[in-house]
Amino acid sequence: MRRLNRDTIVAVILLLFCGVLFAASLRIEETTYATIGAEVWPQLILALLFILSLIYLFQSVRAAPPAAATEARPGFLARYRNAIWCYALFLAFLLTLDIFGMLLGGILFVFAALTVLGERTPRTIALHAAVAVVSVGAMWAIFTYALRVILPEGMLLSVW
Amino acid sequence: MLIENTVAAFGAVLEIKILLLMALGVLAGLIAGAIPGFTITMAVVLTLPFTFGLSTIEGLSTMIGVFVGGLSGGLMSGILTGIPGTPSSVATTFDGFPMARKGRPGLALGIGVWSSFLGGILSAVLLVTLAPQLARIGLEFGPWDYFSLVVFALTITASLAGENLTKGLIAGALGLLVATIGEDQINGVARFNFGTDALKQGFAFLPVLVGLFAFSQLMSDVQDTASARKPLMEKGAKAVRVEHLAAVRAIAGRWVNLVRSSLIGTFTGILPAAGGSISNILAYDQAKKASRTPEKFGTGIPDGIVASESANNATAGGALITMMALGIPGDVVTAVMLGALLIHDVVPSPSFIGDQPVLAYSIFIAFFLANFIMLGTQAIALRAFLLVTRVPMYSLAAVILIYCAIGVFSLHNVEFDVWTLFWFGLLGYTMRVLGFPLAPMILGVVLGNIAEINLSRAVAISDDLTEFVTRPWSLFFLTIAVFSAIFPWYQRARGHKPWTLVFMPLLCLAVAPPLVMMGGVPRPTLGGLLVAGGLWLFWQRARSGWKLEPPVEHRAHLEET
Repeated sequence: MRRLNRDTIVAVILLLFCGVLFAASLRIEETTYATIGAEVWPQLILALLFILSLIYLFQSVRAAPPAAATEARPGFLARYRNAIWCYALFLAFLLTLDIFGMLLGGILFVFAALTVLGERTPRTIALHAAVAVVSVGAMWAIFTYALRVILPEGMLLSVW
Repeated sequence: MLIENTVAAFGAVLEIKILLLMALGVLAGLIAGAIPGFTITMAVVLTLPFTFGLSTIEGLSTMIGVFVGGLSGGLMSGILTGIPGTPSSVATTFDGFPMARKGRPGLALGIGVWSSFLGGILSAVLLVTLAPQLARIGLEFGPWDYFSLVVFALTITASLAGENLTKGLIAGALGLLVATIGEDQINGVARFNFGTDALKQGFAFLPVLVGLFAFSQLMSDVQDTASARKPLMEKGAKAVRVEHLAAVRAIAGRWVNLVRSSLIGTFTGILPAAGGSISNILAYDQAKKASRTPEKFGTGIPDGIVASESANNATAGGALITMMALGIPGDVVTAVMLGALLIHDVVPSPSFIGDQPVLAYSIFIAFFLANFIMLGTQAIALRAFLLVTRVPMYSLAAVILIYCAIGVFSLHNVEFDVWTLFWFGLLGYTMRVLGFPLAPMILGVVLGNIAEINLSRAVAISDDLTEFVTRPWSLFFLTIAVFSAIFPWYQRARGHKPWTLVFMPLLCLAVAPPLVMMGGVPRPTLGGLLVAGGLWLFWQRARSGWKLEPPVEHRAHLEET
């Protein structure tokens, strides 16, 4: 079987996405007073996106199948390891924002991200901790005291 | 009127606080622009949260400072290490680095700094004089014309943004789609909220922008562990003394090149979507063609630096002209500026300069002053840049990520915005990995509402859709939109396929009719000249036997100005 290239898969996903959103656009409330309904503009864009995705699909199918790799390439997880870690840590930061708040959560995030991305010797870990505390502390202070923004305090700090 | 507004604007901008903020902005821009991997757009996006607590003039002056600083910052790393800090200073390295290697880094830096300054000042003068004129033309636009202008802006962005036009257009359509989520501005009806209250308000512009651009850029920067752990620049740059006097003398003898390059920069900036990454190469190419010694280009001659640096700074003035006069961003950076204006409840349009002259002229003056500040702070920035280059990218990325979260949260004080940042960061990174350009998507998000409102107005006035092709301005924009869509194929096939020989003559002939339809004297005359030009090009090509000429390779990319 001919190997599907990445663009073909993306084009199919885009076509499915168009279908789902078009179905959702049919449920947009219709008003009697509008000269042009609220659903018209999104449907126009979806029609355009659908046509473009079809062209993209056609182009990807017509393109030569990806050549067999001549040299060893790292796998998906290895290639995007750092990005996956960062997104996972950021997700954890968001999910625990109500508990740790912006200050503690931010420090923990920066420390964890630095430690995951950088070297992990006792010296660098200590340096990462210092960078996390100073950088997030400084930003938190600027936004809280200079710009008067009330950042999430978190349950831990509010109890304490 | 012009003098009154200028004086009033000077009064508004010449405050210690604003000047200090601008100086900080210019310094931040200079340093960010000098770091390869950081872009001017990213620097401006990251500055935006700090401006929420500031007045409109303060906030915009700061961001203009970052913009001007960023355009000039790229020359430091380009000249000292041969790695351009931003795509806007790619051509600077062609002669700047060889000159530095020949033992004149101070002179190269001096020429770069002074050319940036003079290019910026020239475009500031054009900004003050041209923006009100363009706004006057903009007042002629009806909703049909505006809609077609947005179509043109998106098409040209997509065609300049990358190798694949289809991917660029898909990205633009996705941006338009994102802008439809939430209550529509005309009828107040919720769209695509899937029953959730959070989505009813739609996505705020800033989290979407920061996520798409900054978050995904940082992820790309740290993708490779080995390079993320290295200092930002391994080729250590050394501190040098800038030779100001010798540089000014060198530029004085090349004023024609300076003026030509500044004009190229300004007019490239006026075009929607074309930024400094294109203008510096165009100006360099023109300077080389006009030179009596083109073979010396690339060996370290002042002309190359003058052309590139004056053009890229002048582009900022051009981009601001379009934004201020028509409310259409000239490039991604001005798209962010437009977002900043909207956050401060200011909506640029053709009537903006007339309705709020002090604010509009304050922006002009801030741009003017930012160039002076850039000149004064370059030496400090150079020292700071040398310090920053010792830091590894992963340290900066982790700290900036959390800064993005804090900045985005401070916009409306809601956690939903931070979630928006996360999801759009993920989407932006995925799009980067899959080879989709982000610039059309960002412009789609910014221009989506403008397009919808004008389409709705056009249909409300008349249900005759032929108005889109019978009104001169609308026809003009749609015509150039079609040609800009074909442009990537033209660029690829030039010199190889016979049809490319008729592209430019046909373009001249196609844009002439709408100009003639506009009436008056100057525009039909211009239309007539274009017809004559088109026919002359046809005749020239026929005379040479439709011979294909090898193209000069200057593939322009808009992404990451």
